[in-house]
Amino acid sequence: MRTHYLILGLLSMSLGTLTTTAWASLGHGDNSNEVHNLDFDRTISVEAGDMWFEPEEMTIEPGETVQFDITNTGNLEHEFVIGDKAAQKAHREMMQGMTEGHGHGGHDMAESEHGGQMPSVSIKAGETKTLVWTAPENVERLEYACNIPGHYESGMYGEINL
Amino acid sequence: MTRSNIITHPLSRRQVLKGGVALGVGSAAAMGLSPAWSNPWGHTNAYAKGVEEGPEVSLAIRRESLPINGKEARPISINHTSPGPMIRLKEGQDAVLRVTNLLDEPTSIHWHGLILPPGMDGVPGVSFAGIAPGETFTYRFPVRQNGTYWYHSHSGVQEQLGHAGPLIIDAAEREPFRYDREHVLLLTDWTFEDPMSVFRNLKTMEGYYNFQERTIADLFADMRQNGLADTVEMRSMWAKMRMSSRDIADVTGSTYTYLINGHSPEENWNALFKPGEHVRLRVINGSAMSYFDVRIPGLKMTVVAADGQPVQPVPVDEFRIGVAETYDVLVSPEDDQAYTIFAESMDRSGYARATLAPRLGMQAEIPERRQIADRGMEAMSVHMDGMDHSNMQGMDHSNMQDMDHSNMQGMDHSDMDGMAGEQRKTRENGMLAAGEAQPGSRYGQAGIGIAPDERRVLVYRDLKAFTPWPDRREPGRELELHLTGNMERYMWSFDGKKFSEVTGPIHFEKDERLRLILINDTMMEHPIHLHGMWMELENGQGELIPRKHTLNVKPGERVSALITADAEGSWAFHCHLLYHMDAGMFRVVRVS
Repeated sequence: MRTHYLILGLLSMSLGTLTTTAWASLGHGDNSNEVHNLDFDRTISVEAGDMWFEPEEMTIEPGETVQFDITNTGNLEHEFVIGDKAAQKAHREMMQGMTEGHGHGGHDMAESEHGGQMPSVSIKAGETKTLVWTAPENVERLEYACNIPGHYESGMYGEINL
Repeated sequence: MTRSNIITHPLSRRQVLKGGVALGVGSAAAMGLSPAWSNPWGHTNAYAKGVEEGPEVSLAIRRESLPINGKEARPISINHTSPGPMIRLKEGQDAVLRVTNLLDEPTSIHWHGLILPPGMDGVPGVSFAGIAPGETFTYRFPVRQNGTYWYHSHSGVQEQLGHAGPLIIDAAEREPFRYDREHVLLLTDWTFEDPMSVFRNLKTMEGYYNFQERTIADLFADMRQNGLADTVEMRSMWAKMRMSSRDIADVTGSTYTYLINGHSPEENWNALFKPGEHVRLRVINGSAMSYFDVRIPGLKMTVVAADGQPVQPVPVDEFRIGVAETYDVLVSPEDDQAYTIFAESMDRSGYARATLAPRLGMQAEIPERRQIADRGMEAMSVHMDGMDHSNMQGMDHSNMQDMDHSNMQGMDHSDMDGMAGEQRKTRENGMLAAGEAQPGSRYGQAGIGIAPDERRVLVYRDLKAFTPWPDRREPGRELELHLTGNMERYMWSFDGKKFSEVTGPIHFEKDERLRLILINDTMMEHPIHLHGMWMELENGQGELIPRKHTLNVKPGERVSALITADAEGSWAFHCHLLYHMDAGMFRVVRVS
């Protein structure tokens, strides 16, 4: 129980930093066409494999708006979630709890209930999804990760240097 | 290869260690004991040492005096270490392994889990004649797989004398996980007794190594709890099976010293890491008779490979490893502290221990050992699963509510794969579809002595491949084999016949796809190993069933595996509990 409160605490802290910045999350559904109407500074292509991201780290200017094109070249479903290390960990532990508890498929949890405000997108094997995101001004380091149980631990994480 | 310089070096331990680190030579001698590959910094690409690197390796087998747990012992050594050196090959190489026998009896090496030509498999009398004293045999085979494996003698009881070692094959392509450092953890069970006298003791006196037999006091406790009728019923049930309910293992910590990389719990072998690193642990159960439950209190372990084959990652707190199985796990120790690697023997009579630490000489708390489990409740679940129901009549089930449910470990009813109500896909010919779990399997349970709710424990049902294995055919036939035994007379067999009593090999038609069904009629676990071909364990994962070289079959359980009989020749098939194999639980499979 104690860890539960701790997780909530960490999560709300990280939400605090993220929600103050403007980020837009598109491409969850089939609306990725609309992306072209949006203003972004550059596109970063990301490959999500089993169990890695390529590139393994990236540098983004504070305030820069980036469109990520994430292609899942693996055999399993993956997610691409941006957040600080603690928020990623909290998110991961919750998803782990989900699968150990009563068998919800994990990934959609990331976006709705718990990942809450963490910019995130789920990508099925073979698909490409986009995510537009503006880097915050007041943070030095963030992580991108896949928090489906076991995926982060196997190597699906990368660093964003701001 | 750098080992010999160090062993003869007249330096203090500390100097050797410092020098080793600075010069980049092996520091295995810092532990004072072999084997050399059990170097505390593990393996990184820049820092490989204490290893016999392929493709060409020479191994010399000797019997010599080496200390074990600080006491005088005479193990079998391989290149002067016991257990032997780590052999490191690369996928795609043509391996040339020269084995010289300097013993005064024949020997052999079997490359456990490797797919290779039948003449290179190393089983005397099945794949070749064995290696006579003074002779050198050269094994040559293409390396067509990668992952964590091991090697051991397949002659007599030599394996019990330390004739075993890790065999690691680096992948040709990117593996489905990444890490910064790796360590090998080879679990073995050492006895200072002569293994032949262990075998004799087992044959002459049932329960020789079991000091946990039920007593009169237990009987009265049972009667208080269960009532007289049920107690008598359960006792007679055990008597009929010629077993004691506390026979969890037949050779126990009363004779065994459990070792990790050749080191006893007191010696506390150190596996080093830098905080923040991702560490791969290659865990091999190279023991003769002992199952272990492995955990690292304070760390989640993510299982990424089983029997050398990648599986979809499973974060767990503990896993049970049967004899001859291997598991690869990833851990991410973030803090500058020591963590205990704790491998408790399944029968709770002892443990192996090492420490994952940022610096040498550290240690962490050793967890308390759990209580000995009792086979009683599990046995009943076996009987409910379709064995002899007539024996159950007269048992008043209402009394079961009064029983101590904490004893019901391993009997998680929600998980009973064997119970009705679960829909299975069946084909027109009545056979189950490929990948479906057999009725009577208990893939959702870790087994005896594990409380399912205490922590997250790996179960067979968790194991899932990334992609389907190449042969997608449905099985053309089913082959059923019963695992049988008589504990009192220490006879172990398949279908009631010891190896010495069978007339010929089990025949597989070349290139056929078949389903092997194993039914365990005994009250003990048996790790069943097929040489030469993979067994795809039908754990209910459909197309993504995992493939293994060794299957743990729990008491009373019915498990199945799909096999593609593509390896022409004669292959050994046996229980990997050494004394069970020697007692007759062994067959030859002939593919033609």
